[in-house]
Amino acid sequence: MIRTITLCAVAALGLSAGAHAADPIKIGASLPLTGNFSVSGEKHEKGYQLCVDLINEKGGLLGRELDLIISDNRSDIGTALSQYERFINVDDVDLVFGTFSSKLTFPISAVLAKNGMVHPIPAGGALRIYTQGHDNIFYFQQNAAEYIGSSVEGVLKNLVDEGERPSKAALVHADDFFANAIAAGLLGQKVTDPGGGEVADLSPGYLADAGMEVVYTEKWPEEGFSDWLNLANSIKNSGADLVVGLTASAEEAVQLTRALKTVRANPKMLYLSQGTQAEYLEGVGADAAQGTLVHTSWHEAVPFVGQLAGEDFSNQDFQEAFEAKYGNKPDEDSAIPFAVCQGMEQAVIGANSTDNAKMGEWLYARTKEDPARTVLGPFSWNDVGLPVDRPFLIAQWQNGQLKFVYPTDEFEGVSDLVHPKPEW
Amino acid sequence: MGHTLQILILGLCLGGVYALMACGLSLVFGVMRIVNLAHPSLIIAGAFISYWCFTLFGIDPILSLPISAAILFVIGLILYKLVFEKEARSAKYSEMTVLLTFAVAMVVDGALGAMFSNTQRVTSPDYATDAFFFGTIFLPKGQLYAGLISIAIIIGLVAFLRYTRLGYAIRATSQNRAAAELLGVNVNFVSLISFGIGVGLAGAAGSLVSFVFSFFPAKHWEWIAILMSLVVLGGMGSVQGTVIGAFLLAVISAFVGAYAGATWSTMTFFVALFVILLVRPQGLFGEKPEHV
Repeated sequence: MIRTITLCAVAALGLSAGAHAADPIKIGASLPLTGNFSVSGEKHEKGYQLCVDLINEKGGLLGRELDLIISDNRSDIGTALSQYERFINVDDVDLVFGTFSSKLTFPISAVLAKNGMVHPIPAGGALRIYTQGHDNIFYFQQNAAEYIGSSVEGVLKNLVDEGERPSKAALVHADDFFANAIAAGLLGQKVTDPGGGEVADLSPGYLADAGMEVVYTEKWPEEGFSDWLNLANSIKNSGADLVVGLTASAEEAVQLTRALKTVRANPKMLYLSQGTQAEYLEGVGADAAQGTLVHTSWHEAVPFVGQLAGEDFSNQDFQEAFEAKYGNKPDEDSAIPFAVCQGMEQAVIGANSTDNAKMGEWLYARTKEDPARTVLGPFSWNDVGLPVDRPFLIAQWQNGQLKFVYPTDEFEGVSDLVHPKPEW
Repeated sequence: MGHTLQILILGLCLGGVYALMACGLSLVFGVMRIVNLAHPSLIIAGAFISYWCFTLFGIDPILSLPISAAILFVIGLILYKLVFEKEARSAKYSEMTVLLTFAVAMVVDGALGAMFSNTQRVTSPDYATDAFFFGTIFLPKGQLYAGLISIAIIIGLVAFLRYTRLGYAIRATSQNRAAAELLGVNVNFVSLISFGIGVGLAGAAGSLVSFVFSFFPAKHWEWIAILMSLVVLGGMGSVQGTVIGAFLLAVISAFVGAYAGATWSTMTFFVALFVILLVRPQGLFGEKPEHV
């Protein structure tokens, strides 16, 4: 009798374990599908969803289907925090994907670290995110936002003849985590933690390094700013021939460019932190966009070959799959989350489980020779979770197309820089 | 001097657009005591109509303004019938409508997002990024046209309120709903039409906004505080007060932006709202609330 009961119990356990093995791998992602960051948030959703669907089509991960749970955080910090808490404590997710923007990423990084989750970050470039001492955070773009200016300096020094270079810079930016971070690098400011303490001293700054005199700086509030013409007029009156516009969203990039055009401010060079999106081109028109420089983490022409479901999956494969699913071309706001998903998939395969500690170990162990391979290129990280040896790409709008102009020695297909920017 | 004049011009142009954006809100509050928090989301709906008219059929947003206004007018009538009419006699009507209009704002936001996606849009007729230049002074054509059209619409509205029978009835209802009803005014019909006009004005403002600012469904959350500050400054329910409040605050914020920094220009509206509620809660042209 006892033997029968024992056998039944063992059989029941076996059945239970079998059922458990077939359970989907749950993944939680809180994204700004509405609110100020919704343009990028929606595209992040597409990037994540495409990747998950492709993995599921190829049989899932470790034999289990992926179940992606996406919640709209309305671009709101409190909502994003509670959604990640819910993913972990109520939905019992196995993995999480990061959200969009430094503003949202900074607070949620503490929640994810507290719960021992691997935190792959698609868009959260502010250096302060990586200096809080959290384990298992991994950034899936080239470098912290504070260092983006090095590529701008590179363009000025390497692509523009000395006599043609601008000499006076106006730097205007949103009072936003990400934009403030880029500004700190360009202006050579000290980066401090919200709780006190210096993270980095970036003096003298990339603009000074490039021989620029900064003649005008201004920042606008994160929300509700509408006086773009006044701002553009002040830029024009400053006499700057390099205009740096560090916007927090593509929408602000459109507003700023349109205002500069309206007041006929004609700098030799216009660099924006946002503006790779098709919405930018539509908002300002091909003529106005001509010559505008934007940094980017991804470009359609870059021949990176990543991995998906254990097979090679190139940047071009990604674009074909994206167009087939959504009917339009992707931009970096979809490519970056796709790369996050690829990296996490490889971590699960590498760890042979969804144990986040083991996945974190695998990701930390990546090297230049044996990286995580994505459509954004190869990734290995330093001990704070920032990628190693990855320069930002600088792209330029030329005749309605986003051309890749810097760095010039990493890939083929680099276009010549249009300089100076044509007058409006 | 030239710099000061330029800032004044930019402030006045922006003020014209703000005035039209806010006066529908003011009218609806004046007649029905509805604090319509959904008003900016309906402006966005109007902006989307003009955007698609421009994108699909090449219709200039100024020409599609009557279309937006008419469609939103009808939506206003439907909204009033569905959401507000039943509770019009409730003692807590104003308080209830705050919650109701908040819900309507969220529904409109979600519906626009579902229909048009949450992507930013902006209408781009040539004049939107062009200007008249007079030496160092410029007049931005987009804001100038939007401001002038706004003023023309507001003058038309004021004339309608002042010189038509329905206008009399609307003003009477606005001043004393019970007395108007006693004198034979069909206050329910007046409320219905007033709400329709208020929402129609949102549609008209949306057409103009579509080439002045970029927009997306959730953008209305940024506008509600600004519009409320204009209405409160002018006096809740006073269309003329709202117009003056809009020009005043737009000009002040332009000067604040130019001399104290862009961060503070937006703050101007909130500081004004705070100060006016403290010092003169009825606003510049509003009536002092009666104490019972």
